[in-house]
Amino acid sequence: MGSYILKRLVSAIPVLLGITVIVFAIMALIPGDPATAILGSYATPENVEKINRDLGLDKPAVQRYFIWLGNMLQGDFGRSFSLNRPVLDEVLERFGATLALAGTSFVLCAVFGVAAGVVSAARQYGFADKAITFAVLLGISIPSFFLGMMMILIFAVQLRWFPVSGMWPVYGSRDLMTLVQHLTLPAIALAVVATGVVARLSRSAMLEVLRQDFIRTARAKGVPERGVIWRHALRAAMVSIIPVLGIQAGFVLSGAVYIEIVFQWPGVGRMLVDAILTRDILLVQGGVVFVAACYVLFNIVVDVAQSLLDPRIKT
Amino acid sequence: MALLTFTRRAVLAAGTALAMSFGMPAAAQTPPNVLFVGQIAEPKALDPAAVTAVNDFRILMNVYDGLVRYKDGTLEVEPALATGWEISEDGTEYTFTLREGVSFHDGTPFNAEAVVFNFERMLNEDHPFHDTGPFPLAFFFSSVDTVEAVDELTVKFTLSEPYAPFLSNLAYPTGLIVSPAAVEEYGAEFGRNPVGTGPFTFAEWRSNEAVVVEGNADYWDGAPELEAVVFRPITDANTRTAEMLAGGIDLMVEVPPVSLSEFEGEDFTVHEQAGPHVWFLILNAKEGPFADKLVRQVANYAVNKKALVEDVLEGTAEVAAGPTPPAFSWAYNDTLEPYPYDPEKARELLAEAGAEGAELTFYVTEGGSGMLDPVAMGTAIQADLEAVGFDVAIETYEWNTFLGEVNPGLEGKADMAEMAWMTNDPDTLPYLALRTDAFPSEGGFNSGYYSNPEVDELLEEARVATDQERRAELYKEMQTIVQEDAPWVFVANWKQNAVTNERVGGFELQPSFFLLLDDVTKN
Repeated sequence: MGSYILKRLVSAIPVLLGITVIVFAIMALIPGDPATAILGSYATPENVEKINRDLGLDKPAVQRYFIWLGNMLQGDFGRSFSLNRPVLDEVLERFGATLALAGTSFVLCAVFGVAAGVVSAARQYGFADKAITFAVLLGISIPSFFLGMMMILIFAVQLRWFPVSGMWPVYGSRDLMTLVQHLTLPAIALAVVATGVVARLSRSAMLEVLRQDFIRTARAKGVPERGVIWRHALRAAMVSIIPVLGIQAGFVLSGAVYIEIVFQWPGVGRMLVDAILTRDILLVQGGVVFVAACYVLFNIVVDVAQSLLDPRIKT
Repeated sequence: MALLTFTRRAVLAAGTALAMSFGMPAAAQTPPNVLFVGQIAEPKALDPAAVTAVNDFRILMNVYDGLVRYKDGTLEVEPALATGWEISEDGTEYTFTLREGVSFHDGTPFNAEAVVFNFERMLNEDHPFHDTGPFPLAFFFSSVDTVEAVDELTVKFTLSEPYAPFLSNLAYPTGLIVSPAAVEEYGAEFGRNPVGTGPFTFAEWRSNEAVVVEGNADYWDGAPELEAVVFRPITDANTRTAEMLAGGIDLMVEVPPVSLSEFEGEDFTVHEQAGPHVWFLILNAKEGPFADKLVRQVANYAVNKKALVEDVLEGTAEVAAGPTPPAFSWAYNDTLEPYPYDPEKARELLAEAGAEGAELTFYVTEGGSGMLDPVAMGTAIQADLEAVGFDVAIETYEWNTFLGEVNPGLEGKADMAEMAWMTNDPDTLPYLALRTDAFPSEGGFNSGYYSNPEVDELLEEARVATDQERRAELYKEMQTIVQEDAPWVFVANWKQNAVTNERVGGFELQPSFFLLLDDVTKN
């Protein structure tokens, strides 16, 4: 097991290096530069040149890449010029917020998605199955940002049950309760599509397992139906459900961008969008590399989890 | 049936949890005497010398003072931290008398040394704290040769040449005075730990959530009514509108035209104020159809400006007559009438110029500072121009890319481009964008290559004249000539808007587009 994990970690290194090259190249090639973004209407060539010098952008691109990479390997992601603070501080803070949002959504989609899929499969073509299938179709068809706006209009503006936006109350205490209040609407809006996908795939995975001999055996030897479904069948189906959950984890992370903008959630997705618009090169690069590293790491965790469940996968 | 009971129990549990969360007092009322302001973005820094965005200025103007400021409701300069000033005969020496007994929020005294420190930091590359920059707008003061502290309360600026906009540049946020002691203490982090002399004292900056400032009871111009102001960055305009409707913020700036109808009721007040803004089309006077003055005038007759400001912009702007916004009332030529919308005349003139069916490339931006609704406006303009016989192809760019295409000049690329400017002095825009010496190749913004020696002369003279009446005459004459020459299609002057709820009193928008909150109340 140890050597498997190590092998996976080593193979992640070229992937990450590739990502640094790509994100650096994209930021170097896109039109528009930070100086123009800072100066706006006042971007005379003279001013642009001065700003570029101040930001160290007057050096050749290759040299800048290696300076950046070298600093990063020593844990220095540089300084964001648009926010005037270290990139790593900003990314870590923002990533925490994204993780809270995406993590909650992921738990919601895993729990409700799998449960709905299992119930659906256990009651194939029954009323519960049809109701769930309909709800799932509806769920995966609504764009999350639209759902988010509608939820704000109904539950925050009209009914005033939840705050409109933000992660914490602007005034007053910050405790778990207030976090949950702020988290509810965005987490649900973000989870809906993923829940639908998980439910669909769990249903088909369960149906496949339920047709197998060992299920018949279990039923024959008198295991209660509840045990058959939740213990025997679900456990076997998990082997095909877990990779789907892994993909959905990536999906909620990337889908968080829209939701973060709609709900003004202080997460890393919104940060990247703002950083791109202001051409905050180091912040974009640092943010993308950090998020990519997390993706890679997450994929390794999923693979390892899968190999624990199904020893055949480990090679 | 075990399965079903389990499911029922789960549903019940989930339902109860949901019901419990519904019962929470989620949208509690905001406290009195604390004003919540919905901003359009996270501030970049709260160091006035280091920032360029109106969004940041809205906070800065409440934490700092400058030597001078704009008189309430105008763009005319009045004393602030300086109680008075004298200008030498030749217009190169400005001597300011400073207000006595003013302290920065950190308790250090405001004096001539502090003023010298501020300008040295920005302008002198050898200053020990010059590295707390970059200072992108330092060129506002590039004509300053030396700043000297004559005595404790007298400071003298010597300019390399007469420069009339100097005073109004001092009233701009770039001229706000920061505490030298705080810069020494925080260094590059000063932008997150601002210390000034203004009506509000900086309290807290929680990234991406809020900047909190508290009332300064010792303010030299009278303590503010409010205990505190909370500036919240809410980038999405729909979300900002929702927060305003839900009572999460008391004051919202830059309301999108389409959202204005939400605030028609008695619970809200919509404020409007025309500012020093002009939205125009740069025409390429160097080559192609617009090299002919007649064709440039055709474009001015062909565009239905009234429909643009009333329909596309829902009345949030007024039709512009010339290159100078009316908000500069002392320098504005009010005898100018906007080009009337007259497609008939446009067609006749176009035939006269022999340019029927001329193909035009039109650069449109997707957004950008002061650009209002550029895509919708660009499309409407395209339709108007095609109706009189042009053939217009639009090319759309993201804002930074757009600037990268337009600022170096339109030659060889396009015949026209959208543009908008907000300035603090009537000198700035024409001087940077209408002179022959301001061609892009010379480092200016005359991207359409308009050139008229008469205009050049008027602008040069207005810049060095220290007498405001003389300057006004020169600007008015310039506007008449420029309108006739039509280097641009003059389209709109934006009216900035804001909404307050019924708990807020004493709020007024300023023509400078700054947000001044020292007289505002909230119950």
